[in-house]
Parts: sequence; structure tokens; C-alpha cells
Amino acid sequence: MRRSSTRKTASSKATSKELERIDQLFYSYANRSSNLIDPEGIEVLCSDVEVDHTDVRILMLAWKMKAEKQGYFTLEEWRRGLKALRTDTVSKLKKALPELEKEVRRPSNFVDFYSYAFRYCLTEEKQKSIDIESICELLDLVLGSQFQAQVDSFVEYLKTQNDYKVVNMDQWMGFFRFCNEISFPDLRNYDPELAWPLILDNFVEWRRAKHS
Amino acid sequence: MVLHKFGEKLYSGLVSTMTHHLEVISKSIEAAQGGLFLEELNRKWADHNKALQMIRDILMYMDRTFIPSTHKTPVHELGLNLWRDNIIHSAKIQTRLQDTLLDLVLRERTGEVINRGLMRNVIKMLMDLGSSVYQDDFEKHFLEVSADFYRAESQQFIECCDCGEYLKKAERRLNEEMERVSHYLDAKSEAKITSVVEKEMVESHMQRLVHMENSGLINMLVDDKYEDLGRMYSLFRRVPNGLFIIRDVMTSHIRSTGKQLVTDPERLKDPVDFVQRLLDEKDKNDKIINLAFNNDKTFQNALNSSFEYFINLNSRSPEFISLFVDDKLRKGLKGVSEEDVEVVLDKVMMLFRYLQEKDVFEKYYKQHLAKRLLSGKTVSDDAERSLIVKLKTECGYQFTSKLEGMFTDMKTSEDTMQGFYASSFAETGDGPTLAVQVLTTGSWPTQPSATCNLPAEILGVCEKFRGYYLGTHTGRRLSWQTNMGTADLKATFGRGQKHELNVSTHQMCALMLFNNADRLSYKEIEQATEIPASDLKRCLQSMACVKGKNILRKEPMSKDIAEDDAFFVNDKFSSKFYKVKIGTVVAQRESEPENQETRQRVEEDRKPQIEAAIVRIMKSRRVLDHNNIVAEVTKQLQSRFLPSPVLIKKRIESLIEREFLERDKVDRKLYRYLA
Repeated sequence: MRRSSTRKTASSKATSKELERIDQLFYSYANRSSNLIDPEGIEVLCSDVEVDHTDVRILMLAWKMKAEKQGYFTLEEWRRGLKALRTDTVSKLKKALPELEKEVRRPSNFVDFYSYAFRYCLTEEKQKSIDIESICELLDLVLGSQFQAQVDSFVEYLKTQNDYKVVNMDQWMGFFRFCNEISFPDLRNYDPELAWPLILDNFVEWRRAKHS
Repeated sequence: MVLHKFGEKLYSGLVSTMTHHLEVISKSIEAAQGGLFLEELNRKWADHNKALQMIRDILMYMDRTFIPSTHKTPVHELGLNLWRDNIIHSAKIQTRLQDTLLDLVLRERTGEVINRGLMRNVIKMLMDLGSSVYQDDFEKHFLEVSADFYRAESQQFIECCDCGEYLKKAERRLNEEMERVSHYLDAKSEAKITSVVEKEMVESHMQRLVHMENSGLINMLVDDKYEDLGRMYSLFRRVPNGLFIIRDVMTSHIRSTGKQLVTDPERLKDPVDFVQRLLDEKDKNDKIINLAFNNDKTFQNALNSSFEYFINLNSRSPEFISLFVDDKLRKGLKGVSEEDVEVVLDKVMMLFRYLQEKDVFEKYYKQHLAKRLLSGKTVSDDAERSLIVKLKTECGYQFTSKLEGMFTDMKTSEDTMQGFYASSFAETGDGPTLAVQVLTTGSWPTQPSATCNLPAEILGVCEKFRGYYLGTHTGRRLSWQTNMGTADLKATFGRGQKHELNVSTHQMCALMLFNNADRLSYKEIEQATEIPASDLKRCLQSMACVKGKNILRKEPMSKDIAEDDAFFVNDKFSSKFYKVKIGTVVAQRESEPENQETRQRVEEDRKPQIEAAIVRIMKSRRVLDHNNIVAEVTKQLQSRFLPSPVLIKKRIESLIEREFLERDKVDRKLYRYLA
């Protein structure tokens, strides 16, 4: 599917020069046989723009491209992302990253980015939840700078509890809402009647037990 | 005189003459000594009344014409007023009268006999002079003095009496006061004086009475003191909060004794006794409420809620109640009349109603019923069916449909067997007689089915049956549940003793092997029968190690079966009975791991039920908030079990994950149904 669409777009002859350069840049990182930028390619790209491949900005770049599969960029996604960022060289891309971060951090975009981050980590067909360990890393990556205390505490809880082995989308979104709405660390406006996901009820209970 | 316009003169003359006369009377009353005082007063009063009547008759014309037109007091009333002002309210008489009256009451209270007639007349006089005279000159003081009296007396009683005795005294005092009112006081005083006694003798001491050491309410309850309890009830109900206190103490008493009962590890050893004790406790308290508490509805409710509270403290209550029924239906009800059976079953149903986890009961009941039916151990088919009807009325069709299915299977199987023996498939001969019960999968509790190797003789009949059954019912599958059957064997032992042995199918398989061998090792039996080790050990144990039933002999002799044991037919076996029943499958309380397993199965069964309830509700409501869902689900399911809010929340989240529901984007309390 994807390959045929790639071929179609490739054959439809990019008109502008910008597009040509974007394509060239793509092929400089893409794997010859799969026609995709694979994890290795992404690592090279990261060192070229001088960010770590685990940096949140790479995830933001993937969000901008609307990349579907973790660790891979298709030509279509690459074009979508770079055109939107108005970049066609490595140095422009590097300069665009801080701007991109600002864009993502805008509240209207951030919810979308936050839920994208979860979906991006679903690598298997019909997978609906993510294991605790990955969730902890992901939380730190996407929310760590904004809600450090909440994330640290929640991660600590996730690692000590035995009830949950995975986290689903509902719970993931619930925690974001929790960070935004609940006074922390006193939790005084937390009301379990408001239908928070159970995992958060348990988290709050755990915290209260721990601090009393 | 009135006609001649001397009305005024006549009237004032009357007033002054009467006043003068009364002053004289007053003197003579004052002069009366001690006890004669009242009598004198009474006599003069009677005279005065008589005189007044005559005066009124004589002056009737003035009374009719002059007085109304000049708005003066009518003659009779004037006479009373003058009597009041000159006699009763005269300085020397007023307090003396009061003191004398109150003194008489006090003397009567302390046991003296007084002249009640005189008392009645004097009091009547006060009442005739107007209710305000009665109230101000007597009643007010009477109530005050009584309050002081009873305050002091109750203080004295409570120090030296136990609760029952005190209540008796209080009751007697109350009756005395009522009697006094009826004899010589105004009837309106009754409510007032009784409320004084109630307040001083009951209300002020309620707490102390109820909690009195060694004789308080709890002791009365424990010792079934119906009379004392009844007295307490009727006295306490007269004061605000009185019944509330009794009910409160009773409730906490029932709860704590109940809790003790159901959590006592000793009691857990004998489920039948456990349930019997619950029933006894219920009977005891029912009787108290009936005999002493006037069958008060609020007390009955308190009793019910207490039972519901503590029965559910023990998670094994449902199992035990089912075991109790099992015991009763196996043997307990033998020879008991039909009505008595109903009584027992109704009592069981009453306990059942208290259970929160009715689904757990159902699970056990099914298991126990299956064993009863298959082993043919049930005493009365009617009793069995009666209980099922009761369960059905209580919990609805769904609850009992499988239980009824089991009965249907039994009946159908009987017909099938008749059909089988009437058909050409069964050739009558020396072969064994087979009785098959065809059980519908799903209606019966699932048993781990481990088919063993049946002896060739049996296998032959089984195959014939299979041929017959599948011939008449196409498209069905038969699998043998050899772990649930029984067999009757005719055996001849070494010295020629003949017995009929009633054994389980597994035991039969093992015994049949001895037709062709004298000695068999455990391993050989295991290989030949392929009965699972734990079952085989149990059935060998009951044939070789139980005194009186030891049709097998084991080497070496020991209580347990070991892998390298050897078995022989016990030639010396003897029993005074021709029929010998070997090790029956009696339902017993589950072991701890089995119990855990059943619990887990129940928990698993609940999940889809909760989800179905949520979906049903959401399908009709489309959008609903969290608390309402929890409330509705709980309501829908409470006839079977009590789902915890956490459990419901979990199922909601699971439904969200599976996209049956979603959270509202704005109001996070709300869920939406996704169709």
C-alpha cells in the first residue's frame, strides 16, 4: 500500500525545487531497499541536527509529519512535515526545531501531541495499551518538563503497584487531565466521584496513604 | 324589689350579706383542728352549695332580668366567687388547704389509707370553682411536689435496685398515679402527672437502666426476660427517644454476638451447626420482639439489618447455608411432616434473603443438588422442588432455570432408561444393569471429567446404550462422567459371606479387577483403571482403611495409601448388614484452595453480568453520569450480589477500552453509549 503510493507520488514529478530538495534529503537518509527512513536513518538524522534520538523534539517532528509507525518515516510523511516546517536542508531543519517545540507547547496543539505520543508507541496490530515501563519513559519525555512533580510521583506509583501491567488510552488521557486540573501536591480538589479512571483513584489513595 | 327598681339594692344586699356570712364560716373552718379541717371545709361547702341553690331559686327573677341587663355576675356564680375569695383564698386557709391536700397525697403514696371520698369532694370543689382555681391552687403544686418526690425516690431506687426491679417499681408508681387521677383528681391531670412520673422515673434514668451492670437490657436479652423487656418497652415508649435507645442497644448487641458467631473459627468446622446457630439466634430474637416488643416494625427492621450485617461478614455463609440445606434434604428431614419441612425451608429462605452474594449460594447449591440427585440421596422430591419454587419467587426465573434443568434431566433419564430396556439394544441376560443419567451440559456444575477405563462387562452395556441413545437423538454427543456414578456389586468373600456392596463407579472399576487377580499393586490398579491419582487414593482408602468397610486388605497396613502398596480382597470381611455402603460422596465444606477457586469463578461470572447491566442501562439512557450508573447497576444486580463501585468502575473502563462507551469530551462525569 504504502510503497505503491510512494511510487505514485514519485512518478507524479515534483514541480517545485523545494520539493525536489526535500525528496533528496529523504533519500539521503532512507534505506535503499525499503524506501523508508528506518531507525538507523533516524539516528543519522538526529546526529546531523545535533539532538539525541530520544529527545522529545524528534517525537514532535514525528507528530508534525503525522508519522504512523514508530521508528520509520515514509516519503509522504517526510514531505508533509518538512513542507509544513518550510525546511529543505539539514541546517534549516535544525533551526526549525525550537520553533516546532514552541508550536507543540501551545495548549491547543499539546493535547493532540500528547494523545499522538501514545498512539505512536502502539507498534502492534490491535495493540491498545502500553506496558508500564514504556509509559513511564514516555510520561517523562512528554510531560516531564511541564509537570515534573506529578510525573515523578505517578511514575513512582506505577513502579511500585501490582494491579496494572499496562496503561490504556483512557488512563493516559486521564492523567493529562489530572495534571491540568488537580492541585498538586495537596490533591485537595481531587474528587473520586468525578469518574476518574480507577488507576488515578488508586494513585491518589496511594499518595495519601504515603503522606499521612 | 326588682320590679320596683330596687334591683341594685337587692343585689348589693346579697353580696354584703353573703360576704359577711362567709367570713363567719371562714372563721369556723380556720378553727377546725388538724384532720377535721378538711371535713369542716367540706361540710361548709356542701351547706353553702345548698344555700346558694335556694338563694338562686328565690332570686330567680333578678337573675333573669336585672342581672343580664346590668351585666352583673349571676347569683350562682357570684356565690362561688365569693366562696373562692373569702374561703379558699383567705390567707389562713389557702396554704393550709394546699398543704393538707398534698400531705394526704404523700401519705397515700407512702402506703397510708386516706379518706378518698373527702379528698374527691374537696378537689371537686376546687374544680367547681373554675379550672383556674383547680390548676393554681392545687394542680400546679401537686405536679411540683410530685416531681420532687419521684426525683428523690427514683434516685433512691436506682441506687439499690436492679434494672428489672426498678422497672417494676416505676410501672407500679405510674399505675398508682393513674388510679389516683381516676379516683379523685380531674381527668385532665392524668397526662400531666404521668408525664412527671415518666420524666423523673424513666427518662432521667434511661441510659443508666439500659446499661445497668448484670441486669441491664443486654442481660435481659441474653436471659430472655420477656416480662422485664416488655415492661421496659412499654415504659420507654412513653418518653421521647426511649424506644430508640432500646433499639440501638439491641442492634449493637445482636451485631456483636452475631459477629462473634460468624467469625469464630471453631464454628467454621461444622457448617450445619453454624447455620443452626444462626437460626436459633434469629428465633430467639424474633420471640423477644414478638413477646416483649409488641412486634414493633422498627425493631423487626433493626433485627433484619443486623442479621444482614453479620451474616455477610463471613464470606462462607452462602456455602454453609447450602450445606445446611444439603444436610436437611439428605437425612435431616427424614420422617418429618410436610408442614415441618416447610418451616425449615422457610427459615433457610429467610437467611438466604440476608445474603448479599446470592450468586455464590446458587453456585454451591447447584453443586450440592447435583450430588444429591446423582447419588439418589435426596429424601424428598417435594421438599427439593418446594425450595426451588421459593428461590424462584425470591430471585426470578433466571436464578433457578438451571436447577430446574437438572430435575428435568433426571426425569428424562428415567424415561430414557425405560425406553432403552424396552428396545432391542438391551438384551436381558446375566450382564450388569445400567442406569444412565443424561445430563445437559451447562445445566450441571462442570466437573473435571476424567474418564477411567471401565471393566469390559460394563463397557459393553455402555456402548449399547450409546447406540440406543444416539439412534433416537441424532446430533448429540455423549461423554461418560465416571467420577459421578455409583454401582451395586454382589460379592462373595472367602468364607462364603455374600454381600451387596454399594460403591462409586471408580471403586467398582478397582474392585472388578480382583475378579481375575488375588493381589494387585497400587501401580497395577492405576494403570488398569486410569483413575486420576488423587481420586484413586481416596477410593482405595475408603475400601481398605475404614473399619467395618474394609473389603480390601492392604500391605503394609497404614492409614494412607502409598504408591508401592499392595491390595488383596479381605477374605475375613464381615458385616452384620447384607448391603454395605462404602465411602459415599457426601458434600463437605470446601477446603481453602477449593474455596478460593469457587470465589474466583464467581468473580469471573460477575464481570459479564455487570457489563451487561451497564450496557443495558446505557443503551436506553445514551448519556449518563458515573454515580447514576453505579446506582442503577447496583439496583439491577442486588438480587444476585452486591457489586462494589470499584468493580463497576473497572467494567466501565473495560467497556471504554472496547469502545462500547466513551467519556464526554466536556463533562468528564458523563459517559456516552457508542452504538
